Amino acid sequence: MSDKEYIVGSNLEKALKAGYFVATGELGPPQNADRKEIERKARLLKGLVESVNITDNQTAVVRMSSISVAVILLELGIEPNIQMTCRDRNRIAIQSDLLGAYALGCRNLLCLTGDHQTFGNHPQSKNVHDLDSISLLQMCRDMRDKKIFQCGEPIKGQEPRFFLGAAANPFADPFEFRPYRLAKKVRAGADFIQTQLIFNVPKFAEFMRRVVDLGVHEQAYILAGVGPIKSLGAAKYMATKVPGMEVDPEYIERMTNCTRGLPSPAEIKAMPPKEAAEARRLRQEASEAEGIKICVEIINECKKIEGVAGVHIMAIEWEEAVDEIVKQAQIGPRYDPARQQPTPAN
Amino acid sequence: MIVAQQKPLEEIKAMIADAQKVLILGCGTCVTVCFAGGEKEVAILASQLRMATRLEGNEKEIREFTVQRQCEYEYNEMAADYIRDADLIVSLACGIGVQTVNEQFPEKLTVPGLNTSGLSQPTEQGVWVERCQACGDCILALTGGLCPIARCAKSLLNGPCGGSQRGICEVYAERETPCVWDQIYHRLKELGQLDKIMDIRPPKNWHPSRDGGQRKIVREDLRL
Amino acid sequence: MNYAKKLLAEVGLEAERLEIFFLSSAEGVHFAEIAADMTERARQLGPNPLKKSSGVKPWTQMEVKE
Repeated sequence: MSDKEYIVGSNLEKALKAGYFVATGELGPPQNADRKEIERKARLLKGLVESVNITDNQTAVVRMSSISVAVILLELGIEPNIQMTCRDRNRIAIQSDLLGAYALGCRNLLCLTGDHQTFGNHPQSKNVHDLDSISLLQMCRDMRDKKIFQCGEPIKGQEPRFFLGAAANPFADPFEFRPYRLAKKVRAGADFIQTQLIFNVPKFAEFMRRVVDLGVHEQAYILAGVGPIKSLGAAKYMATKVPGMEVDPEYIERMTNCTRGLPSPAEIKAMPPKEAAEARRLRQEASEAEGIKICVEIINECKKIEGVAGVHIMAIEWEEAVDEIVKQAQIGPRYDPARQQPTPAN
Repeated sequence: MIVAQQKPLEEIKAMIADAQKVLILGCGTCVTVCFAGGEKEVAILASQLRMATRLEGNEKEIREFTVQRQCEYEYNEMAADYIRDADLIVSLACGIGVQTVNEQFPEKLTVPGLNTSGLSQPTEQGVWVERCQACGDCILALTGGLCPIARCAKSLLNGPCGGSQRGICEVYAERETPCVWDQIYHRLKELGQLDKIMDIRPPKNWHPSRDGGQRKIVREDLRL
Repeated sequence: MNYAKKLLAEVGLEAERLEIFFLSSAEGVHFAEIAADMTERARQLGPNPLKKSSGVKPWTQMEVKE
């Protein structure tokens, strides 16, 4: 990235360009029209990460829209990464929403295809998929760099200028094609990439080797997806029930062993309520500590992999963990020793 | 070919509830080949309806007739007397046939006994899998002869997405639907045309598809 | 057979009224046993409810015009 000028000038872009090992976070909007929950979660993330992803009806479950939550975050002084999926909106609605998002202050945009509606709570809906993530990236880049709408008409006046992101799944098939697909996304316009959660570092390292061979890491910033495991149950669920996720059996073993020496769930059932509650609390603490420890180890290993510019921390419904994670891993605006000076003002 | 499945018996019973003389009208083309609405299926349904309505104490008079192809007036003419004599017609043709009979004999209502569900290929005895979405702008030359519009759950043009696992699409994983983009990738590889999957496909023009409105083909050279 | 039973069940008739057996002409004793079983089955299920006439005259099939 020899270009000295910023494409957009968001905090995320500036931090990446400055060469820091960047951390981004994630926030899941509520399934209701109340902003209080957003404010609570936002406060847990403020100052710890460069910017915060706001998911867009993730897993096709209706939630408050990404752009509206972004506006709330901006009010609280946090930089949002808005997400746009192709599942629910056609090209007209997408361009329209993006014009508004820019006008409201959003600067980072992730272009995604979107989870199929059968996974969500409205499986009977019509899916749109007018575009896919790659044609969406291209459309957004052309709006920014060529100042044209998808139909070719010029945009008269201010064009929406977004720092464009895309997702990558190193663990999907065909594995040999994935680095090329990433290259395709970058060619279509992606400025940064966030990968799916990584719980198999060797496979991710292999993926990155191929990506580096293609030179893609020099054209876009790649952030490795990481997250803390909350419990053994969560680990097993991710290993078996989530398509596209690979979990190294070593982590499952560690999540099992971390509660060794503590009363088992069967023993807890037989205890009086007060003791049972205390025992459960100890088990939870042990699990959570181990889950965070594993996450930090993965982050540290990613720091050593060529081509990785940072991490994207997904601690959905456990935003409290992010502080501990960035503190132990020494990354992010608050804890990265390389960043003694405050982040440059916008 | 066009494939369809018979509606549940309860639903058909509800449709004929107010009629006394009901004609079950079959079709000898697509729905015969997919065993949904041919002469045999007409006979079975008629039999079931006679038994069911008698059990409920509301017996209907059910008649049967099958025409060669219900989407053409000339063939439906052969059933004209049966149609005119009935209170209600249950058509076991695809949606096109149902509408043709309604149009040709507007004084009678013809209701659908089938759910038309796709343009499919009989992959094995008893199994029909959707292959075409009639999008009006066929791109099979670009994808090694496999259609992503019909066979990809998200109709991607730049697939596969991250939900492709071991060649299976994550949507309805229990059905083991193959990921068509995985198939396209391997086919293009065999054909030595992998450059096609590296091209960035622009957004599809959906205008020739249903999105652009009801489609009509006019061939002046064929008109009388 | 399973399909035929399903058709009957949809109509509201007991699937047990219908059964298929494969016998050779030499299996006289077996045939008698089966006949006795089915008779007992029919007795337990009760008379065929379709036998009750509803008084509706069957709408006779017209001749097919060539």
